[in-house]
Order: sequence, then structure tokens, then C-alpha cells
Amino acid sequence: MDLVRDVLDKKLIDRENCPMGRVDGLVMHVGERSQPTITHIEIGGTTPWMRLHPAIARLAARLARMWGPKRGEPVKIPWSRVMTVGKDIKLDVRAKDTGALDWEIWIARHIIERIPGGGHEEEE
Amino acid sequence: MKKVMEITLGIVTAVGGFLEMGSVATAAQAGAAFGYDLLWAILLGTLCLIFLVEMSGRFSAVSKHTIVDGMRERFGFPFFAIVLIGITVVLFIVLVAELAGIGLSVQILTGIGFPWWAIPVSLAVWFLMWKGTFSLIENGVSVLGLVTICFIVAAVKLHPDWGSAAHGLLPTFPGDQKAKYGFIAVSILGASVSPHLMYFYCSGAIEDKWDESYIPINRVIAGLGMTFGGVLSMGVLIAAALAFRPNGIDVQTFEQTALLMTTALPKWGFFLFAASMLFACLGAALETSLAIAYFFAQGFGWNWSENLAPSKNARFAFTYTVIILLAAVPLLLGIDPFQVTMMSMALTSATLPLAIVPFLFLMNDPIYLGKYRNGWLSNSVVAIVILISFVLAVISIPLEIIGG
Amino acid sequence: MRAKLLLLVSVTFATACKPPAPAEQLDSALSWIGTAEMAGAAWVRHTTPDTYTRQTLELSHETLAQISNDLLKSPPTNADTAALNSVLTRSRGRIARMAALIAAKNAPDFARELDSLRVDHKIAKQSFNSIESKQ
Repeated sequence: MDLVRDVLDKKLIDRENCPMGRVDGLVMHVGERSQPTITHIEIGGTTPWMRLHPAIARLAARLARMWGPKRGEPVKIPWSRVMTVGKDIKLDVRAKDTGALDWEIWIARHIIERIPGGGHEEEE
Repeated sequence: MKKVMEITLGIVTAVGGFLEMGSVATAAQAGAAFGYDLLWAILLGTLCLIFLVEMSGRFSAVSKHTIVDGMRERFGFPFFAIVLIGITVVLFIVLVAELAGIGLSVQILTGIGFPWWAIPVSLAVWFLMWKGTFSLIENGVSVLGLVTICFIVAAVKLHPDWGSAAHGLLPTFPGDQKAKYGFIAVSILGASVSPHLMYFYCSGAIEDKWDESYIPINRVIAGLGMTFGGVLSMGVLIAAALAFRPNGIDVQTFEQTALLMTTALPKWGFFLFAASMLFACLGAALETSLAIAYFFAQGFGWNWSENLAPSKNARFAFTYTVIILLAAVPLLLGIDPFQVTMMSMALTSATLPLAIVPFLFLMNDPIYLGKYRNGWLSNSVVAIVILISFVLAVISIPLEIIGG
Repeated sequence: MRAKLLLLVSVTFATACKPPAPAEQLDSALSWIGTAEMAGAAWVRHTTPDTYTRQTLELSHETLAQISNDLLKSPPTNADTAALNSVLTRSRGRIARMAALIAAKNAPDFARELDSLRVDHKIAKQSFNSIESKQ
């Protein structure tokens, strides 16, 4: 599998086919005597911004501390949870449990739902 | 039968949604200043747009991904971020121009200056996106946009010399005012080949759940729809050539453009112009805001759909809310809307390679399109027009700025 | 180094963005007289509403005033500036009167002024063409 071509930046969906962002980064374990292996997928946090420039990542981190769900660290999903890798990557998790939708839920509750007609995030 | 309905609706949408502030302003300027001589620019731009729209629809129908999805996945986050910034800046300026168009239409009807309409107009556009569905926006507003057919009626009623007009379909070298000619040509190309249409159209294909069976329909919609749209633009240019040129009027403001059909259609010409601009710019404002929001949402992997309540795709809704409110600010400050429009169209031309070159790569990628990849014709037409636009833009924009 | 580059770019732009040439100003003046004429004709035919027509005439008047000022500061070479000024002033005055007549809803006097404006327009055209040919 070509990690950059087949995994990085791909869309992630959970076991209920709910979108949960994109693969912003990959964590690899480089052992002393073993082949490097992927251990985790990273979503959000400063991970994508680090790919642009460290200064942008620091700015993003500072903004995230002041505003929003106050989640500093990226969401880490163990590689063992990957079910299929195709056009999208399907994960054996529930999106809401992972923290990948923290920003979505925060903006829905604090901004969107306060505007008339916004609806409710929890409604089905 | 259902497919026939879909084709009809698609063409109606394409025609009704074709004209907007940019295409009318540039065509009116061109006709007034150079008669039929710039018809070729509309022809070239429309031709390129037909191919681009067909490609957008085909890409989404086959790959079930949008162009922005493909751009991030194929080229990575840093590249996507650069394109995001460039496209957002240009589309934002276009959005300002469209909102100004709505405001100016209301201004000429009521007499109240357009800065006063900045906030009501922005709120109205936002409200339609907040409460509306994709069908309402795509179909409803576009059907209203069919009133723009009056431009063709006006052009015909002015009895153009069709022979001379046909001559204008071939590129000619201008006698004098070369910088102005080049700048207007560039602006026409930018007005015709609007990238926001690509992002909007392919997102629509996903919203409407297209698959490979829609490829023939897509071709008909792109071909016929955009052709009729291009004819509408030509109608504006021809009408302007016959209405303004004999009076020596060089169109520089919206107020002057409003006189376009007053001789051809004495009873209703003025009001038809106001209605046409109102609905055309409204449709374009909605499409442009959506295009920007789609770019963010699809690139970052957020939930996005016009058919969902805002709280179900909170970040997407938040993005278009912020964009529309910000776009009201330049209007409140009383910018010159006509100049903003011309410049936004020229900037679109200059930044076309940024949007289109990655897209051309995607259209030739077997992973996304399999056997439905581009042929040499699609690649060639698009590549040539983008090259022409870019070269003209690089030459003309500085000349126009320097010229004052 | 960066400061020097910024200064160079600023100076280049400042000197490059020059005001329109007198010949262009004359064309622009003709354009706005034509605009006033077209708007006036539309109003007489009841094609355009009062407010829009009046505002367009006022816009023509303001723009012509601006052009007149610019031409006074840097007139075309070999031009009879007195004659030029006279043509522009007469047209401006007439357009201003037309705007006032709309407010007073005086259609007959408006129609007469419009006819005179058409004559002014022809005179201005001849005058400007001869000036431009001497440039």
C-alpha cells in the first residue's frame, strides 16, 4: 500500500457511514529491529498545519486554546480500527466517541443552534 | 421520461443561471466600446465552459467524489491550502460584485442608494441558504433567471446586421485602445469561465446522486445549457452595440447599463433589465457562496449538504454565514461596484490555471475515472483557452491599471 | 533591502497610474452627455421612472463637472479652451435643469430642453473631434 497515495488526505467514515474528517497525518513506530509500521491515524489538531509551516501550526494551536472545544491534541485512531481502504477509509469506530467531531458539535451548539432555524444537532 | 425531465430542468438551470453581474457588465462594456468585435471572446469562453462543466459532471458521476475531494487526495494538504486561499479570495470578490448587482437592481427601482441595501441583500441571500434546499436554489432561482431571455429579444428587435455580428465571432486585432480591448477580452473570458460553476455543478451532481448512467444527460445539459447561456451573453453585447455605440456612450456604470433595452422594448425594457439583474445576481450570489463553503467543507472533510438542516453540517453552515456577512462590508463602504466587477472578472482569468490545471490532472487519472478519462479534445480545448486567458491577463491587467 | 524594494515599487506605481489623457476625457464627456440624452429620451417615452432618470441626470452632471475641472487643469494642446469650457458648461447647465424639471414633473419644458441638449451634443462632438485631430 502506498501510504501517501492511498491513505493520506483520504476521507474517513465511521461504521455508521458518518463522515469524520480526513487523514491529516500518520503516526509510525520505528522499532530497533522491526520494519516501520503505522500505529495511528491522526485527525485535526495542529497536524495538517504542521504540513504547511510550524509557525502556522503554532498560530492554530494558540487560536484553539482561546476558542472552540479546547481540544489541543489531534484525534488518534489506532490503525487496527481501519476496516477498508478504498476511495474512502472506513473505520470501526463511532465518530462521536472519537472526538473527531468535537469542533462540529461545538459550532453546532454554540453558534448554529442559537440562530433561528438552525435546528438541533441531536435531532434525527 | 424522468431523464427527459432531468435534461430539461438541467438546461433551464444552466440558462437561467448563466448571466450574472460579470457577464452582463463585460458584454455591455464590450458592445458599447467595440461593437461586435469582441463576440469571439464570449464564443471562446463559452466553448471552454461547456467542456469544463461536462468534465465536472462526469468526474462526480463516475468517481462519486467532488473536484475538491480529488484535489486534496491527489495533491495533498499543502497544495490544497494554496489553491483554497487563491480561489477563496477571487470568489469572495466575485460574491461582493454579485451582491452589489442585487443592491443596484433594487437601487434603480427604488432610488435608494445600494449601500443601504448591503445588509438586507446579504441577509436575504443568507436566509435562502439557511432555510433552502439544493433544489430550491438550483432550480427555483434559475427558473426566475429565465427572464434574462429578454436580452436576446431586445437584441433581435434592434435589427442587427447579422453579417457584421458573425464577423465578430472571429478574433480581430484592435485598431486603437489596445489595452482596453485586451482588458475587456480578459474580463469576458473570466466572466464566462467561472470556476465557481465547476465546484457548484460537481457538488450538485453528488447532491443529486448521479452515477455513470447520467453521463449522456450531463453532456446534453453542459452542451445545450451553456450554449444557450453563451447566446444570452452575446445578446447583451449586440444590444449594447446597437443601443449605446451610436450615442457615443462608453458604459462605465450600472446606471448607464440600465438603459440597455429602453429603445428596443419601450414599455418594459427598464423593468425587465432590473428584474433580470436581480434574479441573475441572486442566483450567482447563492452559487458563489456555496462554492466557497463547498471548497472548505470538502477539502477539510466536514459534513456538507444544502439538503441538511444547518446544525447537521455546522461548520459548512458557519462558513457560508461568515462569508456572506463579510461580503456585505465592502458594499457598506460604498465601493465602485462596476470597477470591482470588471477587476474580479480579470482576476478570475488570471487565476484560472490555479483552478483548472489540477482539475485537468484529475480528469486524466484512471483511479478516479477509469475508462471515462478525458480524451485529447477535452484536454486540448481547456488547456488552450486557459493559456490564452492567462497570457492575456498577465499582459492586460497591468496595462489597464497603468492606463488609469 | 526590502524597504528599498518597497519604495521602488510604490514610486513606480505612483508615477505609472497617471490620470486619463485629455482626448480620453473628451470622449468621456461626450459619453455622459449621450447618457443624459438617452435617459431623457427614455423618460419622455415613459420608459424609465422619475427617480432613476433624475439620479442618472444628476450623475451625468457631477461626472461632467469632474471632467471639466480636470480639463481646466490640463487642457488639450492647441485647443480653444474658452470654447471648450463654454460647450461643457452649457451642457452641464442644461442637464441640471432637466433633472429639476423631472422633480417638478414638467414634461413639456423637459422635452424642449432635451431637444436643445441634442443640439449641444452635436456641437460638442464637432468641437471635440476638431480638438482631437489637432492633438
